Amino acid sequence: MDGDGSTTDASQLGITGEYMASGHYVLQSQEDDGDESLNDHEEGGIKENFREQDIYLPIANVARIMKNAVPQTGKIAKDAKECVQECVSEFISFITSEASERCHQEKRKTINGEDILFAMSTLGFDMYVEPLKLYLQKFREGEKGMPGVSVGEGLGEELTEDSFTNPLPAGIITADGQQQNVMVYTTAYQQIPSVQQIQFS
Amino acid sequence: MKMSANTADKDNNVSTNKNISLPISRVRLIMKSSPDVSSINQEALFLTTKATELFVQYLAVSSFNNGSGKGSKSLSYSDLASTAEEKDTFHFLTDILPKKILAGDYLKTLEQIEDEEADI
Repeated sequence: MDGDGSTTDASQLGITGEYMASGHYVLQSQEDDGDESLNDHEEGGIKENFREQDIYLPIANVARIMKNAVPQTGKIAKDAKECVQECVSEFISFITSEASERCHQEKRKTINGEDILFAMSTLGFDMYVEPLKLYLQKFREGEKGMPGVSVGEGLGEELTEDSFTNPLPAGIITADGQQQNVMVYTTAYQQIPSVQQIQFS
Repeated sequence: MKMSANTADKDNNVSTNKNISLPISRVRLIMKSSPDVSSINQEALFLTTKATELFVQYLAVSSFNNGSGKGSKSLSYSDLASTAEEKDTFHFLTDILPKKILAGDYLKTLEQIEDEEADI
């Protein structure tokens, strides 16, 4: 290449330095668009001047997960790590577009947890669904009782069985003067007097 | 560098250490670069991040097992490419994981094609 279309200069590419995992990936995409410069407007849906496959998760994180997964003595080639980095971005995009489609079909604008789980099972990752559900449960439990936490838009839509698993014990004095403890089932999170009510934004 | 979701992440106020070792804001960025995605709720983000971690593990282990079958104890690029071809779940990766061939072999193939075209 004679360098007319290629650049690794972050400012010219319209992206900040921190998103460039390594120089040669960006160079590669520039070679493809060399003649068209950054003329991405024809490609529908591209919001910024860089293509979705140029954004990666940090290689150190990826490498660490890989290392922990393979047996102790195993070595991992450098190009394998870089390659997995790209695969990961591909995976995320893959799941997201499937989830997004379902979301649109149901006339919703926000992708929620259900959409992701559905996408997983549709795309052949149904073995992840159960572990992810457990993880989600733990996440939700971690959210309860935390003051001022914004939990996300999607939860308001999900009136599932889970919403009713937190009964509030309430004392009621009935007409004949006897006090009874009655469980009050609500769809909102448990309201603890000392804690600010969680806002659904 | 973000090591866990516990560290200050300006995108969410939630502090949870549910064993995530990937930067959530970066995952979000990748998700948002998909066309037609308007907004993503917190749960979806966490699920995707966790799923990604599982995916990396799965890909690493599958490919490593491929490699160790040939007597080596290391994971190389070609192991990944083979896994992408062999396993249905990883088929979506075949475009970005082409099998590498030696430049010499490629040139030979080109020559062959040229010869065939010359004969026509």
